[in-house]
Amino acid sequence: MALDGTDTWILPEGLRPDQLMAALAGSFGFQTFPEYAAEVVYADSFDWRLYQRGHLIHCHDRSWTLYHGDAGEVTVQQDGPELGARCFARDFPPGPLRDLLAPLLGVRALLPLARVHLVGRQVRLLNQDDKTVARLVFERQRPAASTETFSLVRLFALRGYDEELAAVRRLLRENGVTAPASPLAGFEEGCRAAGRRPLDYSSKFSVRLDPDCTAREAMVHIYRQLLVTISRNLPGTVDDLDPEFLHDLRVAIRRTRSGLSLVKEVLPAEVVESARRDFAALGALTGPTRDLDVYLEQRDSYLERLPEVLRPGLGGFFADLAARRRAAQQRLARGLRGKKTKAALAAWKRHLNARSPQPADRAEVPVIELAGRIIHRRAKRVLRDGRALHAATPDAEVHRLRIQCKKLRYALEFFGSLYPEDDMALLVRQLKRLQDILGDFNDLSVQQQLLAATLAGLRKGARADLGLAAALGGLMQSLYQEQQALRDHFSEAFARFADPETTDLYRTLFRPREEPA
Amino acid sequence: MSIFAVYNIKGGVGKTAASVNLAYLSSRQGRTLLCDMDPQGSASYYFRIRPGSKFSGKKLLKGGHHIEDNIKATDFDGLDMLPADFSYRNIDIALDDCKKSHHRLAKVLRPLEEEYERIFLDCPPNITLLSENIFHAADHILVPMIPTTLSVLSLRQLFDFLESTGLGRTKLLIFFSMAEKRKKMHLETMQGLAGKPGVLASVIPYSADVERMGVFRQPLGAALPGSMAAKAYESLWHEIRERVAA
Repeated sequence: MALDGTDTWILPEGLRPDQLMAALAGSFGFQTFPEYAAEVVYADSFDWRLYQRGHLIHCHDRSWTLYHGDAGEVTVQQDGPELGARCFARDFPPGPLRDLLAPLLGVRALLPLARVHLVGRQVRLLNQDDKTVARLVFERQRPAASTETFSLVRLFALRGYDEELAAVRRLLRENGVTAPASPLAGFEEGCRAAGRRPLDYSSKFSVRLDPDCTAREAMVHIYRQLLVTISRNLPGTVDDLDPEFLHDLRVAIRRTRSGLSLVKEVLPAEVVESARRDFAALGALTGPTRDLDVYLEQRDSYLERLPEVLRPGLGGFFADLAARRRAAQQRLARGLRGKKTKAALAAWKRHLNARSPQPADRAEVPVIELAGRIIHRRAKRVLRDGRALHAATPDAEVHRLRIQCKKLRYALEFFGSLYPEDDMALLVRQLKRLQDILGDFNDLSVQQQLLAATLAGLRKGARADLGLAAALGGLMQSLYQEQQALRDHFSEAFARFADPETTDLYRTLFRPREEPA
Repeated sequence: MSIFAVYNIKGGVGKTAASVNLAYLSSRQGRTLLCDMDPQGSASYYFRIRPGSKFSGKKLLKGGHHIEDNIKATDFDGLDMLPADFSYRNIDIALDDCKKSHHRLAKVLRPLEEEYERIFLDCPPNITLLSENIFHAADHILVPMIPTTLSVLSLRQLFDFLESTGLGRTKLLIFFSMAEKRKKMHLETMQGLAGKPGVLASVIPYSADVERMGVFRQPLGAALPGSMAAKAYESLWHEIRERVAA
């Protein structure tokens, strides 16, 4: 249809639009529209959530235009917020654009990616009835940070006018318009000028390991990738652009720490020891802000849990959380910018890039051997502790199982590429279901602790705190009930994880050969 | 998806003008297809669209890619058109050869509902096998009516016919077209029918602008967006949407 018929070419240097029009004038009439000119800023989330789904958005002051990414057709055009350093879906007025952006972006912010200057003109090509049979757009795109200008001709088809379209293509070709171009040439070049490339970041962890490599090579590869994720998320965390920078940063730190404890004797002991200390410190530094982020994201859900009369009591509670978050974020930014963090990351990087690494006992073991042993051991632990899980298991033990699951999950992710993809996808899916229920359970547990601590800190007999105390009570009741309800699903969730098919798969894929059954 | 037929037994009552303008307004709110069913092809003319040389009434009844290949984009985003071919004048003969000849049109239009939110059928006058097909295919039958005594008679004929085929009158939405306030008979006819079931309150007045559509060959909403006539179609469309949603 119309979208498939769109084509974009480079307008060769020395060929002016009016020369091309003169060549077309023998076959078509024209309706020419006034020239447009604008400096537009393309935006997307740090992890390209719009681009991934085929959307492209740019703004010009407060006027926003959403395009179909491949064809360049306009989907929605609407007024919105000023972009500035970033803006969120919630900053848009209610309407089609916000409805489209909100589910795609979630908590992620739109960031300015590329600034491009556009000048263009649309021409409709008409037949003898003055019916439009095709549209041409001449556009010059100049990325702000670049001296290069892209002169493009774009042809838009109209359904049912294939012969005319073919004639336009032929005439363009005969007149030297032959070099195809991406309709997003300006956007892509603008990103490059700003140091980005579409889809150059994803929060998903994926490494391709060479099955023949050694344990050391594999782990260095994994750690390096995690270090890249850490470095890329640092600036956005320091500038507090959106909560996902900090989240991704923390996940990469946790994965690194998990690697250090899961995979032993592959790096020299003193390197592991100092890295362990440094990453533990980074984990502690980044914790408070993230915890507060999680509580603040609960705001709507907390209000929904309460009857209307108790809701105002939470106003001060969230204002207090927000103030605490501001303070925590300041400490975090200071810590991340500080010498200690820089030195720790630099030392780790130096070690990972070392040409002649110091020896370690199991550094030269084939990774496939090591991987199987580690995953098998982790799986056995989860199965053993999980079998003991029942509806009355104390919170602390549930929490411990959750941590076991997390370690198994990281081990599966580190070494997944060494095993059949379908099998690994199944194992991760099964494990994830168990993790989800344990994770939800733990969140509810932690939230109740925070609320209890807040309650304990209230002034005795202060009238102003009465409303808050009532709201906290109501919330704790609601969270507790939900948590208890989850307990009833423990056995079922674990049974699904530990079904014979899955446990067999763990055995066949990972059990070390020398070990008896 | 819903299918709107614009139909009257009588000719020259503003059917094509209504089809073109309502389809245009509909396309502002969702992808719309206008099918010109009238061999005279006036709706096609208004959009400057000619049928493909290989298109015919028989191809229409075959459906599938025979229809899809002959749909053409109008100059307005979201509005496509299936132009009429002169061979449609013999379509009743072709229909008679089909199995389940009363439901043929419904069958060939159904696959288009994936692509279009609404389909408008600009129908030829008279009661024929084609009109029966249209009554079956349409979810709503819009009847433009010049408020005269003779029109009331032909409306009664339509009622009787629909009753006799078992379709009933529930699909009908009647509105006054080419109405002239200074004519006493027009006013009296409108007053007589006002508030009756299926009779809409919006009126399309007689207007030179509507007649001039043949000159500028665009819907009124595009060519003369502020005109009285354009506004009349807008409020008619608004009322139809509300009726249909209710």
